[in-house]
Amino acid sequence: MNTASKRLGRIVQNGLLIIYAIFALFPLVWMLILSIKSDAEMYTTTFVFSPTLENYKAVLLESDYLQYMLDSLIVAGGAVIVSVVAGVPAAYALARYNFKKKEDIAFQILSFKFAPEILVVLPLFMIYQMLGIYDSYFGLIWVYQLISMPLLIWVVRGYFEDISVEIEYAAQVDGYNWYQIFFKNLIPLIKPGLVSAALLAFIFAWNCFTFPLMLGGTNVQPITVAITKFLGTDSAHYGQLAVAATISALPAIIFALCIQKHLVRGLSFGAVKG
Amino acid sequence: MARIQLENVTKRFGKVTALDGISLDIKDKEFFVLFGPAGAGKTTILNCIAGIQLPEEGVVKFDGEVVNLVDAAHRDTAMVFENYALYPQMTVYDNMASPLRSKLYKKDEEYIKNKVQEVAEMMKMENLLERLPSQLSNGQKQRVAMGRALVRSPRVYLMDEPLAHLDAKLRNSMRTELKAIQANFGTTSIYVTHDFMEAMSLGDRIAIVNKGKIVQIGTSDEIYYMPCNEFVAQLMGDPEINIVGGKLKKEGSGYFFTLNDVAERTYQLPEDQDLFRALDEAGLEDIELGIRPQNVKYSFEPKDDYTKCTVYSYESIGNKSVIVAEIGNLQLRMIAPNGLTVKIDQDIYVKLELDHAIFFNLETKEYVSRYNEAAVKALAAEQEG
Amino acid sequence: MKEQKKNSAAVSELNVLPFKTRALPYFIVAPALIITIGIMIPFIMAIYYSLTNYSFRMPTYSFVGLKNWIEILSSSEFWKAVWVTLRYAFFSTVIEMGLGMGIAILLNNLNNKFSKIMRVALIFPLMVAPVTATIVWQLMLNNSVGILEKFLNIFGVYNFPWAASPSTAMMTAVMIDVWVNTSFCMLLVLAGLQSLPKSPFESAKIDGGSVLFNFWNLTLPMLKPSLYIALLFRLMAALQEYAIIFALTKGGPGDTLMNLSLTAYQNGFQFQKFGYALPYILVLWVFINIVAKQIVKRQRAAQRQASGLEE
Repeated sequence: MNTASKRLGRIVQNGLLIIYAIFALFPLVWMLILSIKSDAEMYTTTFVFSPTLENYKAVLLESDYLQYMLDSLIVAGGAVIVSVVAGVPAAYALARYNFKKKEDIAFQILSFKFAPEILVVLPLFMIYQMLGIYDSYFGLIWVYQLISMPLLIWVVRGYFEDISVEIEYAAQVDGYNWYQIFFKNLIPLIKPGLVSAALLAFIFAWNCFTFPLMLGGTNVQPITVAITKFLGTDSAHYGQLAVAATISALPAIIFALCIQKHLVRGLSFGAVKG
Repeated sequence: MARIQLENVTKRFGKVTALDGISLDIKDKEFFVLFGPAGAGKTTILNCIAGIQLPEEGVVKFDGEVVNLVDAAHRDTAMVFENYALYPQMTVYDNMASPLRSKLYKKDEEYIKNKVQEVAEMMKMENLLERLPSQLSNGQKQRVAMGRALVRSPRVYLMDEPLAHLDAKLRNSMRTELKAIQANFGTTSIYVTHDFMEAMSLGDRIAIVNKGKIVQIGTSDEIYYMPCNEFVAQLMGDPEINIVGGKLKKEGSGYFFTLNDVAERTYQLPEDQDLFRALDEAGLEDIELGIRPQNVKYSFEPKDDYTKCTVYSYESIGNKSVIVAEIGNLQLRMIAPNGLTVKIDQDIYVKLELDHAIFFNLETKEYVSRYNEAAVKALAAEQEG
Repeated sequence: MKEQKKNSAAVSELNVLPFKTRALPYFIVAPALIITIGIMIPFIMAIYYSLTNYSFRMPTYSFVGLKNWIEILSSSEFWKAVWVTLRYAFFSTVIEMGLGMGIAILLNNLNNKFSKIMRVALIFPLMVAPVTATIVWQLMLNNSVGILEKFLNIFGVYNFPWAASPSTAMMTAVMIDVWVNTSFCMLLVLAGLQSLPKSPFESAKIDGGSVLFNFWNLTLPMLKPSLYIALLFRLMAALQEYAIIFALTKGGPGDTLMNLSLTAYQNGFQFQKFGYALPYILVLWVFINIVAKQIVKRQRAAQRQASGLEE
């Protein structure tokens, strides 16, 4: 009786999980299916059709989509590089030193994460036009710091705090100076955490929509903005739309797979140590 | 090799005063032990000497030269950290080689290889050299931490509880080894411990540290036989010393002592002219006596001069046992052999050997005098000389 | 006397770290700080311009005091936007938290091969940009190529309106939000579940507490810190959600999905009434700050309580 009810419980639990898995994953599968369906078969078939790569060809070779991807790559990659260069030393200082206003500075940096994006964008639109950096790589990389900098500083700060301070003392006594200790002892220790934080920051930046929509648009046009143009054209090439969505989602999913182990810690800004 | 001096060193962390006016003068080639309870400030003293922390007041001197503003790297010390502080990404070999590879203390790889090998043999860990710290037990980590310090010949070794996590057998052999190494190299060593046996056996001199202050400095015998107050007396010795409160009364040329907790019990103090003179000078009526457990005799049969008590507990502490006897509110610890058939609450007859007593002021808890003080002082002078 | 003074001055100089060492932390934080201060300027400007009639159309502007604020706070458009914002945030956060927790418990209980694969696969939607996610769902919902239409046809439902009708638009937007973000809550709760210490549960087993009792008195209090973190991140994001609604209907049909973010965008960029757009979003900002502070406070209290339970 008891084992029977236990088994029933397992079956129910597996069943529930399957239902959710379908909800979570089928849309992605459907997107892939549509991406290899020709326009001719789009309306007439469901699962049985002859797959084709013509949508991929149309999007990748016959449109500016590759240029949009390149824009995304430059802006997101640039933002992450700036954040790493400026953020990692800051994270170290916030982890190790006791200086005045330390917690205030840390919270100020975090609070940007929660600031409404539109609030930042409205005044920046004006400033950028004044400074002549509207619709430029530089302008977007700068505003993307709102996304990547808090993430990087808070996550990497946690990894620094995990290292016992005595290790630094030991290296000092061994005769090493600050720079040597930082680069030879500490950076290798936080490297897995740093790489995953940087990749996650890249994913966030890659997926960002509001900033490039309003502060870019013609010269610089990341995929997230470009894809809405596919949506707008009512010629309704659904296959091409599916391809655009697939290509936009793919890098982020691949990166996420690489940093699985550190994902929880990154996503929660170091608050939950997964 | 260096003489290390601390003058009035005060170190604060926010509102907490970790060190409060510490002054020490550690001689060249001395093996100096810092002994005290957890949180006393022992590690902070080491950190100030190593240059890891800068005191808010006072100066640190190496060979008479003020080194306050010399950073840790340039002080030429070697330190063993209590939590090992091994570099997790490096093998044991690289950990030990690290101080010899820094720009300041650079040696060629050939020299490093020989030196690491030599130290590893001494620490009985040649087979561990290729491992990472995460693959080591705590005892092994501790040995690596020691090894990393011993590969160098610094001006001073600073060791923070370096034997605390070793098992008993290894700890005893390492203790002997350490003493020999220090005697050979003759390098000034400062050693932090909370283990009284370690302090007694290793230190040329011991400083008792409590609440950020130096309580007493002296040779092990000096501190054991003439503790400057009850705190030190209780710290030095296991099982802990018995502190017995009572009234002192002078009659003629003799002194009588009445236990506080057992009113009818009065002892005549054995004669010791020096002691009596000291007691005359102090003129105290309330007094506390410190009597070590080995100076409490017991019998299970009634005996002359023995006081009747009841057994409170009987516990083995290895090769001997401790009986705690109770009389009124007073509990007395005493040493007994293992394997006695002792029942809790049974009668026991106890005699205090007052001719080993140490006298403390009841109010200040400070040392007044003791039996045979002159002999103890002579012994201490001989050891220090 | 004089000499003594001199002496003590010399001693105190030895107890101050050289300027280079003291300045190091500030020096290290400086680049990050400059960049962030650069980003802070807009916040201050936003407050100032909300008191002007600045417009992209006109070359000059003037200070109008609280005119924009009063006009907006007394308009029905504003209160409608507040209502949409709150409803959207409430529904999406509650469903994501509940569903995420449920899935996390399932994954933790099952611990079989299927659940291990799902632990990884269920992260995928979270990595899809909200805009892209909306497109993915439009491919599902579309009445001509969407699979859901074909599915509903089986039950005799034709041309289900989804985002096109005021009565179902909110539901559709929330569904997409849930699809993307449930995994976030799931991951955090799962991490919390897996880091639960064993010993309190073992002693509870000996005490013979029921499953429900243990969940309520042990699991939940110890999960609370992670739950608050999930709540903090999800609620803050849902209150200012922009991308999904913009890509789905641009706030329509009519003003069905016009939340504060979209209303501010519309006033600022479409109608070019810059000064008039700002109060909407400033109100949201203040509200978000207040809520965030409350959640952080509770999270800390829960953390203390949970570490107490572990002992």
